Amino acid sequence: MLPLEDELPDKKPCIKCGTLIALDGKFCNQCGARQSAQNTNAPVNSWGLLQQAGLFFGIDIVVCALAQFVEALKTFSFFLFSDIVMAISAVLFFSLNWKESKTLLKWQNFSWQKLAAYAAIAMAMQVLVHYSVDWLNLVVYSKDDDYVQHLNGNLFGTFLVVFFTAIAPAIFEELGYRGYLLQTLLKVADKEQAVYITSFLFAIIHMSFLSLFWLIPFALFLGFVRIKENTLWYGVFFHFCFNLTACIFQLL
Amino acid sequence: MPPAPPPIPRCDACFKEIENDDVFCAYCGYPIKGTKVEQSAFILKQNKIDYYKAEIKKKVENRIDKGATTLFCLSGLFILAAIIGFFKLQDNPQVLAFVIPYLILGIIFLLLGEYSKKKPLMCFVSGLCLYIIAELYDISERPQASPLGIITIFIIIVFLVLGIKSAVEIEKIKKENNIS
Repeated sequence: MLPLEDELPDKKPCIKCGTLIALDGKFCNQCGARQSAQNTNAPVNSWGLLQQAGLFFGIDIVVCALAQFVEALKTFSFFLFSDIVMAISAVLFFSLNWKESKTLLKWQNFSWQKLAAYAAIAMAMQVLVHYSVDWLNLVVYSKDDDYVQHLNGNLFGTFLVVFFTAIAPAIFEELGYRGYLLQTLLKVADKEQAVYITSFLFAIIHMSFLSLFWLIPFALFLGFVRIKENTLWYGVFFHFCFNLTACIFQLL
Repeated sequence: MPPAPPPIPRCDACFKEIENDDVFCAYCGYPIKGTKVEQSAFILKQNKIDYYKAEIKKKVENRIDKGATTLFCLSGLFILAAIIGFFKLQDNPQVLAFVIPYLILGIIFLLLGEYSKKKPLMCFVSGLCLYIIAELYDISERPQASPLGIITIFIIIVFLVLGIKSAVEIEKIKKENNIS
């Protein structure tokens, strides 16, 4: 029994006179009334939304720039502070439009196979990035970079490293960029441009020219996964696996 | 030989196919069965709307052009900085570390300028954010700023923001008319 099949309409009533007209008709062919679509009924304030997104990204820029460029602030406590500020801003902006954001937190098409596939891609990508970055660093800067130098040795330190480089960024960066920013830009621009903008902004906020070459493809992949799966969780898991692999390289 | 099919009736205003018993065109709202006065009034109104749309488009395109020029200028500046830096620091072992970031910036701005005709919003937003970060980095390296430098930064940012604003208007028109 397929009751739905019979009910699928190929005509709709005119909003003024009620005559059945073609589904894609912009005007009623009997009374001439405009059949405005839902999205033109309530025009979105694109410029306002963009300014709001600008505020979100501005906070991240200021915090990251302070942490990166000011010598006096290159301490562990400021590193902690900047992470907390960015996490709070991501959560706040994400919950601004809670009704819509809520749907991104659902995970309706859950599948173990997909999860495993994403994990495998993430790890393979990280291995590739790790070796190419090492090579580039040696060529350009003649040095090895160790970005978790503050946390050393014991078990508690290891846990902190995993938390600050794998768990926290995976959750908060996804909430902020693939959650809030992408969702806002989708209202302003088409799908492609929204994903490209988010990816580019996500890449440059890391403040490393050398990393741009892998950060942009990485972010593009996450953006398209988020659009395709319509949930944040695959992205969070992918991001987590990617960063965890980096962590393992650091700890080994 | 089968008889030739009767000509398909078309709307006089938008030339899309219509049904014989339509009173109004389903695509543009043209009063097919209306009086001559109603019909010419409709055409007049439509022309006026087209005229205004063309005016807005011209204004917007002008601003987008200015934004694109700004991106190209930035690209030129960064590549110039890379070249000057290369010759100044030729003997320094860290020369690549200085030149490569500027070169990458120049190339990115060149690409952004090139694509800004097709995807204006993406290019201007990316360009503005990248420029702001580059300037912040520059200020942290060389804290003493000249007035001329500050005015230049201000003008560049204004042009890019105006570009973004125009790009938003274009995206709005696209969304309203369902053009992808």
